[in-house]
Amino acid sequence: MENHKIGVYVCNCGTNINKVVDCDEVAGKALEQPGVVCAKSYKYMCSNPGQEMIVKDILEQGLDRVVVSACSPRMHETTFRKALTKAGINPYFLEMANIREQCSWVHTDHRAATDKATSLTKGAVRRVVHHEALEKRFVDMCPATLVIGGGITGLSAALELAEAGNPVFLVEQSDHLGGNLARVDLTAPYLDSAREIIRERILRVQANPNITVYLDAKVTTVDGYVGNFKAEVQPKGEASSTLDVGSVIVATGYKPFDPSVTKVFGHGDNPNVITSFEFEKMLRKGNIVTDKGKPPKYVTIIHCVGSRSEEYHPYCSRVCCMTALKYGQEVKSALPGAFVYDLYIDMHAFGKGCEDFYKQASEIRTIFLMYQKNTKPDIRPAGPKDDCEMLLRVDDRLCGEEVDIPTDLVILMVGMEAREDSAEVARLVNISRDKDGWFIESHPKLDPVATTTEGVYIAGCCQSPKDINESVAQARAAAARILGKIAKGRLEVDAVFAEVNQDDCSGCRICNELCPYSAIEFNEDLHRSSVISAKCKACGACVTACPSAAIKGRHFTDEQIFAQIEGVL
Amino acid sequence: MSGFEPKIVGFLCNWCSYTGADLAGTSRIKYASNLRVIRTMCTARIDPTFVLKALMEGADGVLICGCHPGDCHYVEGNYKAMRRFPLLKMLLDSYGIENERVQLEWVSASEGRRFAEVVDNLTEQIKALGPCRVRTAHELDMAER
Repeated sequence: MENHKIGVYVCNCGTNINKVVDCDEVAGKALEQPGVVCAKSYKYMCSNPGQEMIVKDILEQGLDRVVVSACSPRMHETTFRKALTKAGINPYFLEMANIREQCSWVHTDHRAATDKATSLTKGAVRRVVHHEALEKRFVDMCPATLVIGGGITGLSAALELAEAGNPVFLVEQSDHLGGNLARVDLTAPYLDSAREIIRERILRVQANPNITVYLDAKVTTVDGYVGNFKAEVQPKGEASSTLDVGSVIVATGYKPFDPSVTKVFGHGDNPNVITSFEFEKMLRKGNIVTDKGKPPKYVTIIHCVGSRSEEYHPYCSRVCCMTALKYGQEVKSALPGAFVYDLYIDMHAFGKGCEDFYKQASEIRTIFLMYQKNTKPDIRPAGPKDDCEMLLRVDDRLCGEEVDIPTDLVILMVGMEAREDSAEVARLVNISRDKDGWFIESHPKLDPVATTTEGVYIAGCCQSPKDINESVAQARAAAARILGKIAKGRLEVDAVFAEVNQDDCSGCRICNELCPYSAIEFNEDLHRSSVISAKCKACGACVTACPSAAIKGRHFTDEQIFAQIEGVL
Repeated sequence: MSGFEPKIVGFLCNWCSYTGADLAGTSRIKYASNLRVIRTMCTARIDPTFVLKALMEGADGVLICGCHPGDCHYVEGNYKAMRRFPLLKMLLDSYGIENERVQLEWVSASEGRRFAEVVDNLTEQIKALGPCRVRTAHELDMAER
């Protein structure tokens, strides 16, 4: 075996790793490993001085392999690969050991955690010796984008891309553009008209020659890879079209929580208990009435219906508090003599201008009452002497007493939930969902609109509840990511894929059927299989299945994994 | 056997289970420190020889974790792992290795807590079984002499 010069760098991550793992000891033990010529423990390896240290050691000590024991490779593998490139060695000569997410953050025993970090590092040292130089792979970038969902997010993303001169295919499942926002009257906290916001976007989309809108349509398949996807769009009752796109933006939005299913607060049975969206309809008509056609004297708004509850969804839907305050303003403006009761659990007024909006709501005499999480205020019919339809009993935490509130109309602030088709959409574009059904981003803080599938982006409420400004910001962020790729013209993609050693291939064709991407072609004349590298996504199914061991999974070879197994044990 | 701390090797797919294990970390969920994780892109890449190699090298247990059926990043790689698994278990039986030492579990990217539970449960299970006694032909020869 050739002699390698390996450098090992153990990151302290401030105190994140060092407070549980003895990083100096891990570095010391690494130095005892064959081939390791330097091993260092340092405060922040990902910092500029940290990376410079690696570059300097490669240049001065002639290192040809590098191990970084730090956070998850999902976090900083790219960062350190760049450092290797900068120092003039192949970026694939790097291996990371995950001693933060999978060690210091999950263990408390210092001895056990240090031993584990030591063996994970040893596994990486053993593995990296077998790493091979992999050449860069480039693919063309198709400038067209498929945007799934025609709400405020999808419309905004489409405009951003199309106005920069690129083709956009905007696919909407319903028969109109606008999404949930098209059902809203005014917006919080500045009371702008939702109709105006959305109409302006729709008109611009319709007028833009770069945008093709498909209404009443579904995306049935998305195949291919970043820069080179093929999507099949099926408009209802028409022939389907195949679209060549370089990127996909998923902007499928959310579904309002439906309280009628479990009859929350009698919704579905009691016609004067309505959801926020049903109330928006009244507001848009300019006609706030009870089921008897009379304007209500008492309006009660209940927050967190379906949200922040053990029974339904644990998360906060984020927009309902400000929408509730908006209702107070809209009711008072339409019916100046009416009383508005606002029953909240906690008032979340975190956005720009929202605290002022909360103050305004108090000034116009919205009456606030605070109820306990996981309890439900009780609604009962009013007696003949009461001047209202219903009485609502609430254990008010502000005054510490149970009080009866007169009510004619109850508005339930229904939260957001993941759409029923979210699992189907996730499978379509190959992304993941979290426990609540929202799509998972590549990194919650540093990469919020990218996903684990390169070229597929998520924006707006399909990722988690958010307000209009945040949705638009994400839409434009996703568009910006794509515009960056379009500007490059050609993309560098991971050099990891499978390859068939033609001399060892017996032509049995077992791998042909196994490949989920049809990336293996069979040459009838030579009686050999080979991998179309651009189509290969490196799952390794064929590598494992090949009875002749003729297929090599680059960067995940048998030798590399065997060496790592030896190292960690 | 008291105080026995088993060595367990985990083969985790990159997209669901490795991410789920990372999530356990970012959520600071504590679990047993006996597992040593090796990342593969997909469970379909986990060659049964990896498992045998781990046991030969002194592992007392092996954990294979992938995306839930229907959720594989590579469409159906986990089904391939699922089909290989019973065959691997038969092989272990024929070698006289308790097949409970090798476990296949589905852990999604959002199941940090579940990952921690899986590791804790398997660690307890292997502790109850005691050390794995696999010997190479060479070791057997040496023992017979």
